Amino acid sequence: MPSVSLQHWQNDRRLRLTEMDAHCAASAALAPPNALLAEESLCGFVMLLSGHFQGFCRDLYAECSQIVAAQVPVGMRGTIQAQFVAALKLNYKNPTVDTIKKDFERFAFTLDFSADPANGPRVTHLGHLNRWRNCVAHQSPGVPQGVPLLTLQAVRDWRVSCDGLAGWLDAIMHVELSHILGAPP
Amino acid sequence: MAIGDTKQHFAVGDLVKIRDTGYRRPGMIVEFRGPLGPGGVLIYRVRVRRKPSPAYIEVREDQLELFPKAE
Repeated sequence: MPSVSLQHWQNDRRLRLTEMDAHCAASAALAPPNALLAEESLCGFVMLLSGHFQGFCRDLYAECSQIVAAQVPVGMRGTIQAQFVAALKLNYKNPTVDTIKKDFERFAFTLDFSADPANGPRVTHLGHLNRWRNCVAHQSPGVPQGVPLLTLQAVRDWRVSCDGLAGWLDAIMHVELSHILGAPP
Repeated sequence: MAIGDTKQHFAVGDLVKIRDTGYRRPGMIVEFRGPLGPGGVLIYRVRVRRKPSPAYIEVREDQLELFPKAE
């Protein structure tokens, strides 16, 4: 069964992003054109996509850590919960491959994105998303080097990749927790 | 409709004691994390220390006790 975090991604976060997609498409199709509105809407879409994906990763991490904490004696539960939260990068950093790996590998396994060939383009897209996210958030002048131009189609592609990574990460954590607990969570 | 409108027994800003831990002083709820606990139990993020640097813990609702507010 998918995690609560993945269900929330699928049934809430994704719907919100679909509404934002529709808003961006409508902004781009205005007559007469309103380039500023279309551009700002797209920038907003980038921020929201990055934020929702970070939220999903953070939720999934928290959900998994609570499952593990529930398995230890009551007196030790707070210790485990405090350790899982301490210095968690997903609380304040972008959801990069590096951030996700460092946090989820606290469950004592190697999170190998390359294990699934489908992750190649997904990881590239996530990198592009985060570069543009920083550019928008910090209002950096110009276009980030080595990254495609910001278009609605590009953000749609990144969104599909985030969706793929969310499902992949959820499945990986199900397997790892089953291994840790000796039974499916 | 309010964002985060869920049946929860504690609110952001509440002072709470965390059962079965060594935290002697009350902490403050700083975020409602949602039904992320086993079986959909509600999870809260609690700040347990402010100085010299803040420290946090995420706990289940059934681990919390509301700390009476000073009159």
